[in-house]
Amino acid sequence: MKFPLNTNTGRGNLTIIFSLAIVALLFMVPTYVQNTYALHIMILIFVNIVMGSSWNILGGYTGQYSVGHSAYFGMGAYTTMILMQFRQIPPWYGVWAGMLAALVIALIIGSICFRLRGPYFVLASIAVAEIFRVSALNLKNITNGAEGILITEIPPLTINGSVITDFSSKVPFYYTGLVFVLIVILVTWLIQHSKLGYFFQAIREDQDAAHSLGISLTLYKNTALGISAVLTSLSGSLYALYVGFIDPSTVLSLELSVSIVLICIIGGIGTIFGPIIGALVLVPLSEALRSNMIGQSLISSGLVRAESPFGTFLTENLSHAHVLIYGVLVVVVILFMPDGVLGFFKALSAKKHKEAA
Amino acid sequence: MAILEIRHVSKFFGGLSANSDVSFELEQGMIMGLIGPNGAGKTTLFNCITGYYPPSKGEVVFNGKTMNGLQPDKVCKLGMARTWQKVRPLAKMSVVDNVMVGALCRTNSLKVAREMAMEQVRVVRLEHRTDFLAGGLPIGERKKLEVARVLATQPKLLLLDEVMGGLNPAESEEIIRLILDIRTLGITQMVIEHDMKAIMRISDRIVVLSSGEKLAEGSPDEIVNNPDVVAAYLGSE
Amino acid sequence: MNIFIQSLISGILIGGVYALIGIGLTIIFGVMRVINFAHGDLLMLGMYGTYYLFTLFNIDPFMSIIITIPLMFLYGGFLQKFFINRVLGSLPQNQILLTIGMGLVMSNVVMLAFTSDYKILSTTYSSSSFSIMGISVSTPLVISFVITAAITAALYWFLLKTDTGQAIRATAQDREAAQLMGINVKRMSIIAFGLGSALAGTAGALISPTYYIFPQVGSIFTLKAFVITVLGGMGSIVGATLGGVLIGIAESIGGVYFGSGWKEVVVFVLFLLVLLFKPAGLMGKSNT
Repeated sequence: MKFPLNTNTGRGNLTIIFSLAIVALLFMVPTYVQNTYALHIMILIFVNIVMGSSWNILGGYTGQYSVGHSAYFGMGAYTTMILMQFRQIPPWYGVWAGMLAALVIALIIGSICFRLRGPYFVLASIAVAEIFRVSALNLKNITNGAEGILITEIPPLTINGSVITDFSSKVPFYYTGLVFVLIVILVTWLIQHSKLGYFFQAIREDQDAAHSLGISLTLYKNTALGISAVLTSLSGSLYALYVGFIDPSTVLSLELSVSIVLICIIGGIGTIFGPIIGALVLVPLSEALRSNMIGQSLISSGLVRAESPFGTFLTENLSHAHVLIYGVLVVVVILFMPDGVLGFFKALSAKKHKEAA
Repeated sequence: MAILEIRHVSKFFGGLSANSDVSFELEQGMIMGLIGPNGAGKTTLFNCITGYYPPSKGEVVFNGKTMNGLQPDKVCKLGMARTWQKVRPLAKMSVVDNVMVGALCRTNSLKVAREMAMEQVRVVRLEHRTDFLAGGLPIGERKKLEVARVLATQPKLLLLDEVMGGLNPAESEEIIRLILDIRTLGITQMVIEHDMKAIMRISDRIVVLSSGEKLAEGSPDEIVNNPDVVAAYLGSE
Repeated sequence: MNIFIQSLISGILIGGVYALIGIGLTIIFGVMRVINFAHGDLLMLGMYGTYYLFTLFNIDPFMSIIITIPLMFLYGGFLQKFFINRVLGSLPQNQILLTIGMGLVMSNVVMLAFTSDYKILSTTYSSSSFSIMGISVSTPLVISFVITAAITAALYWFLLKTDTGQAIRATAQDREAAQLMGINVKRMSIIAFGLGSALAGTAGALISPTYYIFPQVGSIFTLKAFVITVLGGMGSIVGATLGGVLIGIAESIGGVYFGSGWKEVVVFVLFLLVLLFKPAGLMGKSNT
């Protein structure tokens, strides 16, 4: 009886070559693709991949389901924005400060929450993130409270007096996002092929057994959390700089924490490609809803008349429905595809192998 | 030289006394059988010894070092390892990866760990399952996997908790052979078992627990002829 | 001193409603071991139902619980039978995610249907109050406290004196043993979830004259419900009752002394403290 769902075997040289080719293509995209909307979608996908892959390190590999990762996202976002808008510190330094801040609070949170197991850990992670959100709302002197922080201008990046890039177009954000994605994937790959990966997964599979095999739970859980928090804050910083505006309800919300988890469980927890697939599914879907593309195309294709009650309902409301779709997706995935898309297809191909054998 | 000293160990859970003033010693290299009716406190004692929880009273001394309050991971690193009564395979990881987790206790190199792991996989005769997921193994092989995994941590003292539970005679025989082979490696062992024939064959000495207290200690012959021991087992039926 | 007593009293009064929410959640957890993250959204549905019964049919919110209770009970049973039942054996993380998803669906459907505008249910007595010994107490809060006390008493009677109630308690104590004794545990789960939903919906109905009504109002109550049940001990109804009142008091007094914006933080910090130092809660048995 052979199970194909082995997370530790490498995927083979073919995958590596294929991936490198895709990466090379991605680097060339902005040169040939001028459509800013396409670039916009790509940037959002990159942010989501980083968000999901970072969470994956703690949740997928180590089995600690934090539903409060918005705390680290928001920490990165707010630190970068506050330093830039209120202290004129350029974002290439601010991002580092954000990562440091995220690391510090991660270690504090870890010391509190890791004593708890399973659902209690989930609840504690939610409570902590909510504390951050409410604090950001109340500490108006630091964060502007509910009004949020708006970017006036990102200074151009200069080295030795010559301008490398300004931030008026989407292109620098695209490349930054792509680089962040590569960093996160590299980190995940390194973890998976190192002692850390073995220990993380052992903790996920059976914490007490892992403990009795010489694995310090405190050390390794906090390591996973630290790495996860730092990388999540990267995505928060990028998001903040790209979108140009943040407030507690967007970057510190429970909704955001849920969508971070969703990216992973849709694609497949504990795998390198899972969050990528999750982002590729979620981002276009939610953008299509947000921008009313679905509604518009249904109407312009003639399937739905614009003046009909359904038509007006579509145009007015579907853009608000993306959270609803998140909810539906979570329900569907948990009920029918708990191992995510990847797991689902692996199980299918396993059945085929069984029948063929 | 006593490798392990249990000195007046007691463990209370609320009002319940699971272990009560238990004392005995293990000599280096011996196999000690730990027997007693269900609920006698054998697994509780294992848990106290290995740091799963600390004893309420008394001391556990390993190689001259007091172990009270040490976390299980430190206990393992010092050379004391245990298996679990209810097997705990790392289900979504392969057999060799499971054993590697144990080996990584002693090395940081994945390559070396894999070699160490494969050696133990061969010792317990699970090479044909090297890349299978642990979660898919039948119970007998899971028990062997657990032994291989714990051997990879290079223990000086090995605590086996009902490692033959639920096995058929052929599988039990394999485990017995394994335990005897482990002794030739110089590893001291304490074995909790219900299979009396097996215990008689492998043990150099036996400690009997009943209702949390040490009832008797002695050679297998002494124990089998001890009327208190017989009464404890008969009385618990 | 007066302010202290005033906030103490209103804390106790609102605490009664919180107790209802907590009891519902703890029954669900006790019987099914499921952490229901949609609990607050069930409360939200109760609020909206009450609102529309009032504005469309002029039914007084306190009277309308006669309708709300059975409807929410049926709805809860439906949710359990078709959704939650499927994950009863899964990882707790999956269960939480499922109920989170269900909660998102509920709150967003309501948002699509009724917009996210804040709605206010004003009855003639919504802002009236009366004085006892110089302390001013809000009339609707008193009425809801009285109703809550009555419902809680009825619930205790149900659980202690009726066959079904005792079966539920048996299932909560030991699911397998209950099954061996011939209790239909699946049916108990449906009843438990129905009961929990009915209590949440009723709590929503009771607070609708005094709270803003909007689709996202559920999530804050969900978190509070968890604090209450963890404080009281997951699975303990007495604990949830005490926990509800304690949280009501903590929030009320905390709001006075730290400012109303920090009210929630007081509750969450308490939550973390309890999780850390006494995760079994005031009355609880050991956690899972």
